[in-house]
Amino acid sequence: MRKPWRMAALATLVAVLVISLTPYLWLFMTSFKTRLDALADAPVWLFTPTFEHYPMVFLDKGYLPMVGNSLIVAGVTTALSLAIGVPAAYVFARHDFAGKEDLFFFFLTTRMAPPISVVVPMFLFFGYVGLIDTRTSVILAHSTFNLSLVVWMMRGFFADIPREIDEAAQMDGHTRAGMFLRVLLPLAAPGMAATAVLCFILSWNEFLYALILVAFESRTLTVGIPGLVTPHGTLWGQVAAVAMVATLPIVVFTFLVQRHLVRGLTFGAVKG
Amino acid sequence: MAVAFRNVTKVFPDGTVALDGFNLDFETGEFVVLLGPSGSGKTTACRILAGLEPATSGRIEVGGRDITDLPPRERGMSMVFQNYALYAHKSVYDNIAYPLRVRGVPKQRIEGRVRDTARLLQIDELMGRRPGQLSGGQAQRVAVARALVWQPEICLMDEPLSNLDAILRLQTRTELKRLHAELKTTFVFVTHDQEEAMTLGNRIAVLKDGRLVQFDTPREIYHRPASRFVAEFIGRPAMNIIEGSVAGGVFRAEGLDLAVPDRSDGTAALGIRPEHILLHRSPRDGMQPFHLDVKELVEPDILLFLSSGPLSLVVRSKADLANLDDGAEVYLELPRDRLHFFDAETGLRRP
Amino acid sequence: MNFPRVGNGILGGVLDRGVGPLFLVPALLMLVVLLVGPFLYMVGVSFTDLSFALPGHDGNFVGFENYRRLMREDPVFWQSFGTTLVFVFGVVSVEFGLGFALALLLFYHVQRRRFVLTLLLIPMMLAPVAVGLMWKLMLHGEFGMLTHYLRELGLLDPQTALLGNHDLVLPTVMLVDVWEWTPFVTLVFLAGLLSLPREPFEAAVMDGARPWQVFRDITVPLLRPIIALVLLLRGIDAFKEFDKVFILTGGGPGTATELISIYAWRVNFRNWDLGYGAVCAFMVYLVVLILCAVSYKAIYWTEGRAVK
Repeated sequence: MRKPWRMAALATLVAVLVISLTPYLWLFMTSFKTRLDALADAPVWLFTPTFEHYPMVFLDKGYLPMVGNSLIVAGVTTALSLAIGVPAAYVFARHDFAGKEDLFFFFLTTRMAPPISVVVPMFLFFGYVGLIDTRTSVILAHSTFNLSLVVWMMRGFFADIPREIDEAAQMDGHTRAGMFLRVLLPLAAPGMAATAVLCFILSWNEFLYALILVAFESRTLTVGIPGLVTPHGTLWGQVAAVAMVATLPIVVFTFLVQRHLVRGLTFGAVKG
Repeated sequence: MAVAFRNVTKVFPDGTVALDGFNLDFETGEFVVLLGPSGSGKTTACRILAGLEPATSGRIEVGGRDITDLPPRERGMSMVFQNYALYAHKSVYDNIAYPLRVRGVPKQRIEGRVRDTARLLQIDELMGRRPGQLSGGQAQRVAVARALVWQPEICLMDEPLSNLDAILRLQTRTELKRLHAELKTTFVFVTHDQEEAMTLGNRIAVLKDGRLVQFDTPREIYHRPASRFVAEFIGRPAMNIIEGSVAGGVFRAEGLDLAVPDRSDGTAALGIRPEHILLHRSPRDGMQPFHLDVKELVEPDILLFLSSGPLSLVVRSKADLANLDDGAEVYLELPRDRLHFFDAETGLRRP
Repeated sequence: MNFPRVGNGILGGVLDRGVGPLFLVPALLMLVVLLVGPFLYMVGVSFTDLSFALPGHDGNFVGFENYRRLMREDPVFWQSFGTTLVFVFGVVSVEFGLGFALALLLFYHVQRRRFVLTLLLIPMMLAPVAVGLMWKLMLHGEFGMLTHYLRELGLLDPQTALLGNHDLVLPTVMLVDVWEWTPFVTLVFLAGLLSLPREPFEAAVMDGARPWQVFRDITVPLLRPIIALVLLLRGIDAFKEFDKVFILTGGGPGTATELISIYAWRVNFRNWDLGYGAVCAFMVYLVVLILCAVSYKAIYWTEGRAVK
């Protein structure tokens, strides 16, 4: 490739990366800025960092339990969706029965359903069974939309395993269950790990269900942050601190599952 | 007009040396076959000639002009790919018409050229189909049609027959010879199949480890292989090679003594093709007995696997010897004018 | 002879008798109880006057009254529907163009792209709430970093704040969405480009095609299923947009950025007009369902083709 083209490509790429990352960098910096630096008229790039926001918001303002809530909700959601979704994905990958593809389409629609349309009836339903403002309600809500993600991704991973493996396992004396548990699951484990991480991320990041279904003790981190934004003066240092805690683990996870991200986000239609 | 590889070397990013100072000269109008085992660099040579792959060093010349840095479309060459590489989203007609379209040929002329080429390859019935609806043989013809439609000077073919089944391969072989005779286009044909090479090429370039080892007519390559490698690579079953040494006009190896009056002393590898060994039921002067181990009938011939001590030889003979019993004793005559001598170290042919 | 069998027990028995599909039951049960049931309940509610705000509106059957009201008497709904359409078409087309271009750039000109790609993905992996806050901070009318530089460059009037201006707020919000989701388009297209077979491209080059002809005649047709997929997935997602815009503007100023999801939220959870809110929510669902059916076809189209 000719030199000028390379340079132009490189320059574009650098520009794109700067645009992509600056807002996040700014948030990161703000979380260590004093109120004065944060609200300065001209943007402050160099400053003496302060570490007051993190303890202030998590200890004094009681945001720490929200981290716990988010962890519990995302963790249990992941476990539940996998426990229910993986066997279903296996069935979709290896069994044929009437109406299979229609059922599969149904799973897809549940993933696509707009949260606002689902949360209204769920709100009424959880109100009826007395689960409003519990972590359970959020977990169940998140699990329903993650379930189809698990089914879609895992079906693909199971389908990637050649059928000869099944046949060899059966010839070796495994029952179908033995084969599923001891041969197929280990083979699909990397895919399952990626699915789990993606489930966790989606549940952790989710806002609307959590906003509607919980109000007080069970609030997750995403629901908690906007509470710091008030019309009469927002403590941006603290907002940034919470936002950093809410996002940094996800960034790390992103690095881990990047390879499988495409498949997860396109419902298995495109392999990464 | 001459086509030439001048000292072409290709090193891939992973360090593999595909071509190592490769030189080759041929004339346009020829049917040149690049033959070699996998990894010999034949496909790389073809792709460098096409311009799909840049050479690490060296030059490609056509008619004395250096075309090393020209993009493929300016080289006047077309290519038939191993898996045909048809455009799945275009009809057969559009596939064949594509090279003309991108060259801005007027519509009416395209129509005529495509029809003519399709008729030449007997695929005029298929014009409306999609590549997915074609059989392997049909797809192959379409690929050839696409490569010939714009009348390139040189048509490159990278193992175009290897995805066809055996019978179709034989038919297509004949077909390609007919096309070449009719069109006089230069064909450069890559294959690892020596039989294909022998039947198709009017000259064969044998490659090994990224170098040219012999470039000659099939007849020369068969009768005067330039090295032990060529000798063993061409002809099935492969040439018998016996390692031994000449002393005082006699070639000695374990299990064989053979008078070779005009050969100088020293170690040597002696070669003789299975079909050139003569077989006798009774001993003649100076012949040793061989034992028949196994026989394989390939009508109308028979392959006999014989041994004498540690020495094993294959003989191709007429099938009327099929009634020989395993373990039977036979006597072999190795005609002197059929013998090949190769240097024991370099493997090169001795005159 | 009696060989011990591996992995016996009820599970094994059930699976071996060919009733494997039974393992769908928990998943189906969950969806039916938590999704289908409540959904049907919502459809039921949409025929009532249920409201937590008005006395006496405790779920009396009103027939199609709510639907009539939506169609005839609610310009705000249709306005937000229009805003949503502008938002969807705007962001999807810009993201598509930028994302595709970026994917081509990475594909043809960048060798070590994994690391770059991971960095690019950060915006779309952050919680949308955090994205909203981040940009609220950047765009703040008094001390926002971006606001400051835009004013320095003379691109923005000192009196104007991007998020407070009735005309500028929607494009601004859309740009934030572009910032967040362009990487997704890039990611999918890059995966698509990498999955394409090499031969058709080489064949086209040998046939004499110039780079732009190769792009037009080979790349685009081969990517067509992926193009459809990206448009539909992004279209559906953009149609559902809530979190980010809710945090950034809350739908304002006025109703300038009140997307349909935000409007439905306001009817249900601010006005507590649940009967009517059910109709709004139902309408959103309906549109998505239609888009979804189309995209399902697109996905199957993809699977049946060369791109896998």
